Amino acid sequence: MNDSADYVTPLESAAIDPVTIELVRGAMKSVQNEMEALIERTAMSAFIREKKDFYAGIFDARGRFLAGKSRPGSSDLIGPILEQYPAHTIKPGDLYWYNDCYAARGAVSHSPDQVLAAPVFHAGQLVAFAQAWAHFSDIGGMHAGSISPNCTEYYQEGIIVPVVRLAAEGRINDELMRLFLRNSRFPDAVRGDMRALMASVWLGEKRFEELFKRFGTATMLAVFDALIERVKRAVQERFRALVPNGTYRFTDAIDSDGHGSGPVKLRWKLEVTPERITLDATESGDQVRGPVNYLMSITEPAMTFGSFLLGDSREHTLNAGAESLFDEVQVREGSILQPRFPAPLGQRSITKMRNLGAYLGLLGVATGGKMPAAHTGYVIWNVRGLNADGERFLMSDGVAVGYGARPTADGHDAIYLVAQENYPAEFVEASYPLRVRSYAINRDTGGAGRWRGGCGVVREMEILADEVIVALRIEGDVNPPWGVAGGRCAGSGRCIVNPGRADERVLPPLSDGHVLKRGEIVRIETGGGGGWGHPFDREPERVLEDVRGGFVSRDRAERDYGVVVSADGRHIDIEATQKRRKQRPATKLFHRHEYCDSFE
Amino acid sequence: MSETRSSSSTPGMLIGVDTGGTFTDVALLDPADGRLWVTKTASTPADPSLGFGKGVSDGLAAGGVDGKRVGRVLHGTTVATNLILERKGPAAAILVTSGFRYILEIGRHDIPRKSNLFTWVKPPRPVPPQHIWEIPGRIDASGNIVETLDEEAVRAAAREIAAEGIRTVAIVLINSYANSAHERRVAEIVSREHPEALVSVSSEVLPVFREYERCVTTLLNAYVMPAVSTYVERLEQRTRACGIAAPLMLMKSSGGVTSTLGARRKPVETALSGPAAGAVGAAFVGASAGFGNLLTNDIGGTSADIALIRNGVPRLTTTSAIGGWRVGLPMVDIMTIGAGGGSIARVSKAGGLVVGPESAGAQPGPVCYLRGGTEPTVTDAHVVLGHLPPYLLGGSFTLDVQAAREAIVQRIARPLGMSVEAAARGILDVLDNNMVGAMRVVSVERGVDPAELVFLPFGGAGPLHGSSLARLIGCKTILIPPAPGVLSALGLLVSNLRAEFARTCVQRAGHYDSKQLASVFDELTAEAVAWLDAEEVPTRSRVLLKQASLRYKDQGFELDVPWSGNVDAAALAGVIDGFHDAHERIYSFALRDMPVEIVTLRVDAVGMLPKVTMRELSAGGKAAAAIVGSQRISFASGAVDVPIYDRGKLGAGVRVKGPAVITQLDSTTLLLASQVAEVHKFGSLIVTEEQS
Repeated sequence: MNDSADYVTPLESAAIDPVTIELVRGAMKSVQNEMEALIERTAMSAFIREKKDFYAGIFDARGRFLAGKSRPGSSDLIGPILEQYPAHTIKPGDLYWYNDCYAARGAVSHSPDQVLAAPVFHAGQLVAFAQAWAHFSDIGGMHAGSISPNCTEYYQEGIIVPVVRLAAEGRINDELMRLFLRNSRFPDAVRGDMRALMASVWLGEKRFEELFKRFGTATMLAVFDALIERVKRAVQERFRALVPNGTYRFTDAIDSDGHGSGPVKLRWKLEVTPERITLDATESGDQVRGPVNYLMSITEPAMTFGSFLLGDSREHTLNAGAESLFDEVQVREGSILQPRFPAPLGQRSITKMRNLGAYLGLLGVATGGKMPAAHTGYVIWNVRGLNADGERFLMSDGVAVGYGARPTADGHDAIYLVAQENYPAEFVEASYPLRVRSYAINRDTGGAGRWRGGCGVVREMEILADEVIVALRIEGDVNPPWGVAGGRCAGSGRCIVNPGRADERVLPPLSDGHVLKRGEIVRIETGGGGGWGHPFDREPERVLEDVRGGFVSRDRAERDYGVVVSADGRHIDIEATQKRRKQRPATKLFHRHEYCDSFE
Repeated sequence: MSETRSSSSTPGMLIGVDTGGTFTDVALLDPADGRLWVTKTASTPADPSLGFGKGVSDGLAAGGVDGKRVGRVLHGTTVATNLILERKGPAAAILVTSGFRYILEIGRHDIPRKSNLFTWVKPPRPVPPQHIWEIPGRIDASGNIVETLDEEAVRAAAREIAAEGIRTVAIVLINSYANSAHERRVAEIVSREHPEALVSVSSEVLPVFREYERCVTTLLNAYVMPAVSTYVERLEQRTRACGIAAPLMLMKSSGGVTSTLGARRKPVETALSGPAAGAVGAAFVGASAGFGNLLTNDIGGTSADIALIRNGVPRLTTTSAIGGWRVGLPMVDIMTIGAGGGSIARVSKAGGLVVGPESAGAQPGPVCYLRGGTEPTVTDAHVVLGHLPPYLLGGSFTLDVQAAREAIVQRIARPLGMSVEAAARGILDVLDNNMVGAMRVVSVERGVDPAELVFLPFGGAGPLHGSSLARLIGCKTILIPPAPGVLSALGLLVSNLRAEFARTCVQRAGHYDSKQLASVFDELTAEAVAWLDAEEVPTRSRVLLKQASLRYKDQGFELDVPWSGNVDAAALAGVIDGFHDAHERIYSFALRDMPVEIVTLRVDAVGMLPKVTMRELSAGGKAAAAIVGSQRISFASGAVDVPIYDRGKLGAGVRVKGPAVITQLDSTTLLLASQVAEVHKFGSLIVTEEQS
């Protein structure tokens, strides 16, 4: 979505002038950028520094989200703090900390994400919060890395930190820190990460104080209201322009929880009337024994839709205004999207990323397919053991996937997520007893379509330590990401040990505890994104380019796209292509293995 | 440092030519007496060497000198940058280690942090996978050969590349930073099998770890090689046509110059040539006025380039990007944002005021230029408020105030329900706010408090924004250079020869190997000395600086710390202390008991060129004598008649009180109430806040 769409928005009241609004909005974004730059440059967990799994946010005194991460997630990170520590008990110099997903109602949805927040005071009054969270590499729990596919209880996923006061009026509580560090297998990295987060929120606090000094409390608070109102209107107008009144249903499923359950359904219903917009996920499947339960914050759907609707808008910064898009979001306690304590949550990304695809599916139903196709959830695998010096090591390697094609463009090839980077092969080899043998595009995993879905990757490593243990999370095997509007579904991922050797074997997609020896090879193949539009409408030149680049095989070009490529792979056989394209297959709205109008 | 390189008694004239998008700026300096001539001519984008030639002859004519009297020609160019940004380079091939054919396609597998997951579109890679050949053979992270190089595969690839008609080749093998043997052998074979190929080898361009960044840098080097090579030839023809026999030197992104030979070998180093020259010019002007710590902002028509200068030296970074492509070479740390005099102001659908990054550029330009521009720009806002007199370039170009006013009324003031003056001020406030955000990144995020810095605005529009920006960011002093519009050309004249030699040499905490460190430093120093020899730098003019990049164990970013003295345990301890201190300064904390790793070693080689001194202004005169008119300016506090001063008539030591407008050919300076400008003997204006 972009700003050029012709939405009519009445101007807001002249109570606060638009220049000041713009100045504060720009300054808040700068504060967020500065906070994030500090974390990125100083954190020590590879998860944070290379994978960039962290975000900073800014909130008002009531905990309303003003600026911060614009990718799918909760906007209610301060609420849990205010419940534990009422506003009148909060003092300048305090620092609040938690990772307790259940107490925080899914503000963060797995325990490695540590949330820190510092209150901002101006003229003796609590006026805002500066907040940051980051994914710590190990906070105790069952196995190194804390979140293992083996976990069946939240207690196994590392130390649980309820909302606590890490610093009171500027004095850091060392006892809390020591307790926390004692629980980690990598206390040095955890200490560095905590220090980085603390420095970041204190920087945000300082910058925010400066802003209040410059503009004054009354102006700042009026600007907050105006910005929230603006986003509220923009999101609602854009949603209404896209989705006609009606009731829409979409169902998707995750394959397995790794402990014998599955597929688990994610069933959504969207009802749009002139008065109300509501979401209902109560018919989704029950919570499961394995750690794929997703404790979804009730604000998450609206924030995700908001992020989608605002797109790369330069005039809006996503904020709490998006929360009011839905008049109601219904979930069922005990379901996969609202598990009861102490269901394990560690691998919830599988569900979360599939659920994101389900939102796109809902919109696809509502718009007759004018929405992107589904994607594969990003892949993580862990290698742990001892290096040549006898030191414990843990590599948590994020592996890219393919994203869904869109009505105007191909899906992304080989992308993990916004702002998260891979480990360079040279970094892996300099840091861990591993050799990267191959890092390539996984051909034919992008769903065919007028616009092609993105391809996943192949990442192959050789073990150079005597013995390591491997854990794995990969998804989309039985239910690959769907294509839409005539586009075909994506290809799936898998993990093979010792490919091509006599002892070749496929590892279960969600599993832990695989013991591998020196010289053994792990090959991760990740899935792609679904296609958009009829594949026979794709320009033959683009198909040829995909064949030449190794994204699409000659066979698939002919079978799926009706494009016949010469044996040397360099030219289109125009006559044969025209003939082939005359036998144009009929399509339906969605495709997963076969075309269909909906999924059950 | 003041020795001259030539042995003749009269040093040759220096001529600097900085080619920008619209204008080619020329500065001619007589080192004998510090006299400086500046001229401008239109740039000729189709063949920039034409504008360069015209600039050289105009410059010589302005100084009334013969080409034979020129001792050195220095040039800042955008040829390499434009080629990269416009993707107009030749078809290229890459040879990579088996398994890594998709190195460019996968990159770092990220979507840029500020982009939206749903709307972002991956930019096409400069080389498609079918033009990337995989070569079996493997070296590990310690430099050991673990699989022999398959030379037959190299020969086959070279022949296929030749058959494809591709003549630009990059060679990037995994872990070549640790051992370049395979890469060198591949280069030999390719050159023999495909003699027409221009080859760029990663261990020569950037022997530093992280293969994607090294690959992009090496590839871009190969990519711009043919064009830069041809361009340099043309430049040499142009200088010869002007009767000049003196050497031609090109400015590099790192703020030093190189011979044409160096530019041909590592052409990607010239990518940020112009902005780097600006930073060098700013450092020189700052030093002349006694200031070593500067925050600079070069504000042009479409963009603003912001840089930090510490102790007289522009800060370098190895993590910059050109057009989204990461280039790991040391470059002057310049942050560019889309904000300038031509930035267009619009009211968004939500009723917000948005300024830039769209720009009216030189064509159609601001509304007040009457060249067909209809959307109000930053320049129009200045004209409406009276910051700019209704003429430019000494009166040769008039501005239409009424047209600017009308455009702001129609498109901004009326929709927002504001007065035209409030709307115009709003446009400037929003632009200043955007720039302050970037200036903060460049200063505060580098661990420097703006209050300790002197703000040096330059470029055509810089001095108009200097006074408001300095107040916003908290700089107490503003330095307006003598010729703000052509500072980059001046920077060319005062730069030194410079080259950087870096190699990754990972040393884990508790496993420091002083011997290995010494041997890598020795190798780098030998390379640096060989380079100084090739550039014929006399021994007394040579400076070698060692530095190391360090990080806490497990961090992902390194900090550069100077390495002084020998390479031994004692010096290493000092370097590690320096790292803790730098970490504390920049990031607000240090973890002094945390293990520290060494990542990359670097030797910077500098060939000092003869020092240039500016001519001193004659002293005295009264400020009032320089008043050439007056101008009604609308401030937030009300409209005031403000005197206009002719900068050329202000002698050394004269003080001008704000509010005031100071005009000169290439720029206009705005002083706000309670600001005072004092004319420094070398021609700069030093602006401070009046003590109340």
